[in-house]
Amino acid sequence: MTILSRGYQARLSRRRYAERTLGTLASFGILFWLAINFVKSPSQFFQASLIGLSNGILYALIALGYTLVYGIIELINFAHGDLFMLGAVFSANFISIWFGKSSSSPAAWGIFLACLICVMVLSATVNVGIERFAYRRLRRAPKLAPLITAVGVSFVLQFVGLRWNGSGPKKWSSVLPAGQFTIRGVNIPFTTLFSIAVTVPLLVLMSWIVTRTRQGKAMRATAQDQDAARLMGINVDRTISFTFALGGALAGAAGLLFQQTRGLTSYNLGYQLGLIAFTSAVMGGIGNLQGAVLGALLIGLIQGLNDGLPIGLGQQWSQTVVFSILILLMAFKPTGLLGKTVTEKV
Amino acid sequence: MPSALVAENILVKFGGLTAVNSVSFDIPTGGIVSLIGPNGAGKTTFFNVLTGLYKPTSGTVMFGGEEITARPPHKIAAAGVARTFQNIRVFGLMTAEENVMVAMHSHLKAGILGTIFGTPRQRREERESHEAARSLLEFVGIGKWAGEYARNLSYGDQRRLEVARALALKPKVLLLDEPTAGMNPQESKVFIDFVYRVRDEKQVSILLIEHDMSVVMSVSERVTVLDQGEKIAEGTPAEIKSNQRVIEAYLGKSKGEKA
Amino acid sequence: MEIVKKRTKPTSKSALAKSQRKWASGFIIAAIIIWIFYTFIMARLPDALQSVVQNWFPPTALNEALVWVICALGLNIVVGYAGLLDLGFVAFWAIGGYSAGWFMSAFFRQANIHVFSSAPKSLPGIHLSFWMVIFVGGLICALFGIIIGAPTLRLKSDYLALVTLGFGEIIPQVFTNGENIAGFNMSNGTKGISPVDNIGVPGKSLGPFDFSWKFFIFVLLTAFMVFISLRLRTGRLGRAWLAIREDELAASMMGVPLMRTKLSAYAVGAFSGGIGGVAFATHVNGVFADRFNFSISIILLAMVVLGGMGNVWGVMVGALLIAWINSTGLPAFGDLVNNTFNTQINFPSYNFLLFGGVLVLMMLFKREGMIPESRLKAILHEADDTSTNVEGGH
Repeated sequence: MTILSRGYQARLSRRRYAERTLGTLASFGILFWLAINFVKSPSQFFQASLIGLSNGILYALIALGYTLVYGIIELINFAHGDLFMLGAVFSANFISIWFGKSSSSPAAWGIFLACLICVMVLSATVNVGIERFAYRRLRRAPKLAPLITAVGVSFVLQFVGLRWNGSGPKKWSSVLPAGQFTIRGVNIPFTTLFSIAVTVPLLVLMSWIVTRTRQGKAMRATAQDQDAARLMGINVDRTISFTFALGGALAGAAGLLFQQTRGLTSYNLGYQLGLIAFTSAVMGGIGNLQGAVLGALLIGLIQGLNDGLPIGLGQQWSQTVVFSILILLMAFKPTGLLGKTVTEKV
Repeated sequence: MPSALVAENILVKFGGLTAVNSVSFDIPTGGIVSLIGPNGAGKTTFFNVLTGLYKPTSGTVMFGGEEITARPPHKIAAAGVARTFQNIRVFGLMTAEENVMVAMHSHLKAGILGTIFGTPRQRREERESHEAARSLLEFVGIGKWAGEYARNLSYGDQRRLEVARALALKPKVLLLDEPTAGMNPQESKVFIDFVYRVRDEKQVSILLIEHDMSVVMSVSERVTVLDQGEKIAEGTPAEIKSNQRVIEAYLGKSKGEKA
Repeated sequence: MEIVKKRTKPTSKSALAKSQRKWASGFIIAAIIIWIFYTFIMARLPDALQSVVQNWFPPTALNEALVWVICALGLNIVVGYAGLLDLGFVAFWAIGGYSAGWFMSAFFRQANIHVFSSAPKSLPGIHLSFWMVIFVGGLICALFGIIIGAPTLRLKSDYLALVTLGFGEIIPQVFTNGENIAGFNMSNGTKGISPVDNIGVPGKSLGPFDFSWKFFIFVLLTAFMVFISLRLRTGRLGRAWLAIREDELAASMMGVPLMRTKLSAYAVGAFSGGIGGVAFATHVNGVFADRFNFSISIILLAMVVLGGMGNVWGVMVGALLIAWINSTGLPAFGDLVNNTFNTQINFPSYNFLLFGGVLVLMMLFKREGMIPESRLKAILHEADDTSTNVEGGH
């Protein structure tokens, strides 16, 4: 058994005790709050949950991009959320302006599909370009440099969004079928089902690429140890580009989905949602793909419940709630739910 | 006190890997001892436990009659356990003098207000630190580089700077991590004399991790050998040189067993 | 194993002191000249010249730029000295502003406390003198600096950046929603708190339109922050900060207590932000929640990066430059171009490109800043060096 000093043991156990008590109290508090709301209005509870989860799906697509890139080069790509925003703006222009589709029809769905492919290719390309131009040179620089650069790129992308979309939010009509199911007072919009129908295959495809293909293996190897991967003959530069391409494509797809399901674009969309998506990635364990999805669904759920429940803080506190979660996570469990605690070897 | 530092039953596990397996070790007061072993033997891990960088899975480290096992590194350093680094870690963008003065941090008292308003006490402290730093730099032989950025110093001078910096902690125990790496035999000999000087003039007990056997054998009063996390031998250099287990550890088993 | 090193010029102590003196005298002389100009000369200029000056260098822009300098100097301590990437500095600007709102206005109607204030005694609310509020606001911010810094102490630089970013979002949101927090109104929400009291100096009471006297005061505050930054830099705390920035692990093994030292960086930096926030509140005669957003934190970062992280005078120049371009330079230049070429380009909307571009280009090509503090040249070009003695750090 461990024979640490009494003093140290006492301090450690006191701290663990405190953390565990706080954690348990917090969990009970949250469950209590959920229970009250559920009893008060079950249908509202489910509605809020549904809205939250449908947000969560979008966050998952964005979160995957963050976690893929962080997993491979340990960089938080601040600009990733803005890529999502540009995807949304592009999609809006593609579908509504260039092809003039503003209502649901088989032709419109064809355009939607075409847009999906185009936006994914475009976002992937932009992301690869960003990596090539802004990040590659700084790969061995001290962490401060690429971080600052990423923030800069984010602002440049926001500038593009500003020029393209204007300084205020724009509304668009969707080509997705309107209407909804209603089960026991809970509305399930068709667009939500549509989102799921698009997202799930994408996630499955992602998972297949990462686990079954050679490029995916190269990604995982590079994520573990860049130099060793290089020695094994893996083209690290190309692998990193590929990773950025994947992440970018997902962000683009998320942008299209967002634009079509919410009918909204705004130049600062990326900043707001990007941070939420990143929180999701951290919550699930940064670098862990399933974790990113899980974390995203959880965060979406929490956010939806906070915004939509009768007894809740409400939408004006949404950012605060999510960021508080982020801060608590970082302070107490930076490895997230599914991440492993790594003892750093010096 | 016969021993300056005593480590008892230090066990370090990283997940399923046991890096150090219940090693007990002491540094006799005023002695110069060495810790050797093939790569991966756990020397650096053990070293890091002594300086507080790692918390051992179990075991204790006693220093000056007090337990320091799980204290944060800066407290252990302030208490008088100083070290140098295997891969030199001077603060490249600070001058040699500033490097040494950083290590005096725990001995200085000036606070934010004192520094901002330049109270007499703070100014006196600064003056004395500058002088002490310069004299330490002189002691290790790089006095003329006091105002030079550490990054620009030669390899050997950087090693000396690290020692000067470590000595600024006014330590009772000095741990040197592969101090002669990259030195030629001439430089190593100079270094050996230097180690004696440090022990005698600065009244410190010294522990070296070393790979250079000639240095180990000529400067150590006692040699401890680790292999795969275990202490396999401890004794005078002569005893260690002829110890069968040690030879095997370094050279592998006898030819017949190698397939 | 010979290592190729970049030769950075060593600066002897006297050379360093001489350079500092040059900058300090330049600063003082420039400030005096500018003050004389705006107080005595400007009104006497012919109209055409006056309007040119008004378009390109309005005194309001100058004062506002000084506020940015004060805040940038604060961020310089956190990012430039200690190497902690704080992306949420706007929080301190906000807290400073609201300190002015609480202690220099009629906000707390229930109370009637006047301490050396320039406001009429009949006015309800808490009215401390400007100089006291500067101090109080700074202290409150320092406290929050410690609160914000505390969760980041064990984190790597990227996570640290995010936590500070999170606070940079939460705190303004708290103020925006602050009209009703458990029934208590602490910020008037989106309406903000306005007006704030005048600045009281012997013989005068400086209101929102006393630009040139305010300029003088803001210069004083700036000089104060420069003084603090330089003094701390040469003392043991500055050395500890630089050591942490370079190699946290080695620093701790040399006896530098990481947590305490990092927290003091946050505290001092935040103090500066508080001063800037209070000053700004008197400048715009109020504190308004919607002014505090993420871009402010990034603009401050761009200022520090442009000026050279850790270089006090460089950061000042960088801050003045960027602040001026953002508030006056871009619009004035835009008008000039549009009028000359009959174009309709919206120049001010290019500011995002400006800030982002500064950050990206500086990091790629001139990481040490415009006016390099020679020591920094090396730290950010470690990538070009093949030596092995640059392990550690983040």
